[in-house]
Amino acid sequence: MKAWRIILVLAGLLLLAFGVFRLLTEIPTGSLIKLGIWLLAALIIHDILISPAVVGVSWTLRRTVPDRGRRYLQWALIMIAVLTVIALPMIVLRGSQPPVKALLLRDYAANLALLIGLIALVTLLIYGVRVARDRHRHTASVDRGE
Amino acid sequence: MLQHRPRWWPSFTSTLRSTAMTARIGRLLGIAIGVLFLTGLLSHYQYEPWRWLPVPARPVWGYRLTQGIHVATGIATIPLLLIKLWSVYPNLFRFPPLRSIRHALERISIAILVSAALVQVATGFLNVLNWYGFGWFFVPVHRFLGYVLVGSVLLHIGVKLPDIVYGLRARVSEADVLTEIPWNENPASHSNAGTLADPPTPGISRRGLLAAAGTGIGVVVITTVGQTVTPLAPVGLLAPRECSRGPQRVPVNRTAEQAEVGTSAMSANWTLQVVGPKPYALTLADLEPRAVHQARFPINCVEGWSVGAQWRGLSLLEIVKQAGGTAESRIQVVSLEPVGYNHSFVVGPQLGAALLATHLNGERLDLDHGYPLRLIAPNRPGVLNTKWLSRIEIVS
Repeated sequence: MKAWRIILVLAGLLLLAFGVFRLLTEIPTGSLIKLGIWLLAALIIHDILISPAVVGVSWTLRRTVPDRGRRYLQWALIMIAVLTVIALPMIVLRGSQPPVKALLLRDYAANLALLIGLIALVTLLIYGVRVARDRHRHTASVDRGE
Repeated sequence: MLQHRPRWWPSFTSTLRSTAMTARIGRLLGIAIGVLFLTGLLSHYQYEPWRWLPVPARPVWGYRLTQGIHVATGIATIPLLLIKLWSVYPNLFRFPPLRSIRHALERISIAILVSAALVQVATGFLNVLNWYGFGWFFVPVHRFLGYVLVGSVLLHIGVKLPDIVYGLRARVSEADVLTEIPWNENPASHSNAGTLADPPTPGISRRGLLAAAGTGIGVVVITTVGQTVTPLAPVGLLAPRECSRGPQRVPVNRTAEQAEVGTSAMSANWTLQVVGPKPYALTLADLEPRAVHQARFPINCVEGWSVGAQWRGLSLLEIVKQAGGTAESRIQVVSLEPVGYNHSFVVGPQLGAALLATHLNGERLDLDHGYPLRLIAPNRPGVLNTKWLSRIEIVS
């Protein structure tokens, strides 16, 4: 494993340095400054805004929603979050292009709402089955005198 | 060391995260980034091929496939990357924050990796949406940042290899709980305390989380990839392009208005200058009798969308031969467009297959598709299929 680690680290450092070198030598300074701001902003937005917000949501759910229901809610929320990340830029930029480009013409907000609705429906159905099955099992065990 | 941790220092109590899960998400993300890198390099090769290895003309759908994979994988990588980062978020709060020079270097490399990855996928997606507000020329920065990203990924794999091996060998449901304390220093971690019972995950389970994320990403792929995979267009609820709504059922990337060619392209006095040992010119009237060659080539954009199309036009090679060139010539085609991607080079197998198209899907070419004459060659990015042609040059 040690040889592999050395090879990977060296190859990685070489490629990383090559990329930085090409950036610094071929991209105008003004663009590099903007790129630097974006790189820094990406870290700040992700580490200081988005991630604590996600931790906060999980923390709140853990304290407010019972275990059985929370499992299904988390299922739905993860899927909704994944879809929203992709849909959001398109919702914002919708209609920003000439129509002949056939680009960003759809009603992405409505489509996202439709997908969220489907996810909610399926999750509720599965949760309903689970609740019914638990109740049935409970009744059965009571009938057996347990 | 742990007892010196200040009281206010964040600590993570969720049992959901684990090195075993991170290693699995990371493996997938690593594969995705590898695919992005290879397809990205292939796309770059289309722009700057070596003289001795021209881009082949077959399969005609080659670039459609590789660039379709590049953009679809890139879009799927956005949520995948966010989930990977979620799974290791407690590592940001390791205590002490810097324990050695080696640790400091590792943290710096992680910062480069995370920021390069986030900016690369975000700007890649924004470019697909034709939003250029980031303020730099996308193409070279995307390529060089790709080198930085893949370099940092290799470095990261090298540094983390023992954790990756541990994580991939352990079962997802057992193994350690990933908190701000590294698994190999955590006495309660499953690997250090012998075999323990699976840590309780009272809400969603680790497998459940992987399944939910996987399903979500699957839905993203199915609802976006219709811009490349035509049969999935009807379910393309989140597809950026809706190919069938373009003029002549083909989208446009650069309009005649953006290219400022409206007047010059519509002029009745338009001519095509053919420059070579035996130069000549073709007028509009000369085009029609020679436009007898038909081909079915997809048009595939570097932004990932693509659609099959039926073309009719003149054989580029015939035009070139008439001017004294051969199948081995290097040809430059030049547009009426004053700036931007207004010319391209055609060599080798693509020269033999290329058409100067006058008709698209049975109709005279729309102005936005390059009226009166455009290049169309197989296995070639859309942007290199130069529109609104004004000149054909035999360069060598």
